Amino acid sequence: MSEGIRVADVDEIDEGEALTVDAETAGTSDDIAVFHSDNGNFYALNDTCTHEDASLADGWIEGDEVECPIHSARFCLRTGEALCLPALINTKAHRVDVRDGAVWLYPNESPLNA
Amino acid sequence: MVLAAPASIAVVGGGVAGFSAVRELRRRGYAGALTLVDPAGLPYDRPPLSKAFLAGSLDRLRLQLAPEQWYEDNGITVLADTVDKLDAGNGTEAPVLALASGRDLAADVVLLATGARARRLPLPGMDLPGVFTLRSADDALALQGHLASGAHLVILGAGLVGAEVAGTARGLGAGVTLVDPAELPFAQAVGPAMAGYLQSLHAAHGTEYGRGAAAGITSDGNVLRVELADGSRLSGTAVLVAAGSEPETALAEAAGLAVDAGLLVDASGRTSHPRIFAAGDSSRRLGPDGAPGRRFEHWDAARRTGEAAAAGMLGAEPPAGTADWFWSDRYGVHLEVAGSMAVPGQTVLRGEPGSGFMVFRLDLNGALAGAAAVDGGTAVRAARKLIESGRILDPVLLQDPAVDLRRLARAKP
Repeated sequence: MSEGIRVADVDEIDEGEALTVDAETAGTSDDIAVFHSDNGNFYALNDTCTHEDASLADGWIEGDEVECPIHSARFCLRTGEALCLPALINTKAHRVDVRDGAVWLYPNESPLNA
Repeated sequence: MVLAAPASIAVVGGGVAGFSAVRELRRRGYAGALTLVDPAGLPYDRPPLSKAFLAGSLDRLRLQLAPEQWYEDNGITVLADTVDKLDAGNGTEAPVLALASGRDLAADVVLLATGARARRLPLPGMDLPGVFTLRSADDALALQGHLASGAHLVILGAGLVGAEVAGTARGLGAGVTLVDPAELPFAQAVGPAMAGYLQSLHAAHGTEYGRGAAAGITSDGNVLRVELADGSRLSGTAVLVAAGSEPETALAEAAGLAVDAGLLVDASGRTSHPRIFAAGDSSRRLGPDGAPGRRFEHWDAARRTGEAAAAGMLGAEPPAGTADWFWSDRYGVHLEVAGSMAVPGQTVLRGEPGSGFMVFRLDLNGALAGAAAVDGGTAVRAARKLIESGRILDPVLLQDPAVDLRRLARAKP
């Protein structure tokens, strides 16, 4: 992929918050949530929880995990691994870069640090 | 005694605790033989039994915690069988499970995740046709046929199961009378302010509420009559006894394990026997001082203790404990509760009874001990974080709906 999608300025997503990039813009089947974790890092996963229809961007973001706002299924922000019930199916992680004060998303590319 | 890598593990019980344990064992890379035994076969989830499954809007297949293929993919043998006896052995040899099918199953380490059963009331008439308890999928299917329009369900007990079934039955058009000995059921668990709001939902949705204790049930053709201790009578076409649960500890007791209103375990789920672990509703954790703590019966506690036991069986440190958390859905309202709402201290209200209403309990030091919310989104998740932090909190901030709890929870102390 080329240079990716410019999601936002770094300071536009507070730590512990997330933005979504809609599927049409990302060219993916699901919206993508771009997370700014309290560890300072940015991550991206498919936005829809694999258990039930909920937006992970609305979830609880801490360290390298996000917890679904509805039933508290946890996913690894680095790899997309479903870490506990009620989710059973892993989700997809996408590559995110921080460059020139902005957050860049590379849909369908594997994260470099996974 | 640390069994760093048992060659085989058998799990008794396919509820959330047993399932979470086998899943976590594989997730941690455990490569040994793994067998799960449950009379019902493949593990399934219980919260929908009083809600979507009871209402018929969720089928049996979707109740499963994982599809059959998942067990194949993860090398987990599921036996639809009953464990009649556990021969724990003296600790040097592998314990043996005697199965009802006649087979003996030996495993280096055994996890007892036997759960709980519905408590039966010592009443005349408990065994009459039309009198139900609700614990299994079969129980829910049996009750389901009695909830159509024109039916009238009498529910004895207004705890989580009783209140949720009341909501489901009303949604299906059945009449409901809910009876509980408490003036304000659930006040201990959620605090009086939230309990009062939840109680008001019953009347708002046409559920009759009566305070009282049942003394007996009689049958009169198609009508069941419930006599209360004060002599008054109720009638209905079916009766649900929702009087809480009792831990399934018979196997463990017969095997000589330490049991005191629950199988006693340490933080890793280890029982008094080095090769036997326990998790979920049947277990009760010993505190650091050696005194038994509360026996939790909630879904999240079952998941966490199942995962902790998986770590324990592999000789690893269990994950850090978190504040107790549970949820309940009735009449379209989503309730979440974290921590304890009953400790000595101060109650702080946020918002008005209804969607977004929240109640906090601060302990005598001013630290958050518990929180309950209606349709609160991640507010209770934030409250869990605040409870775990032990921070002293300003009640003025908590009661202000404009203060974002997520930000408050993330703020560095």
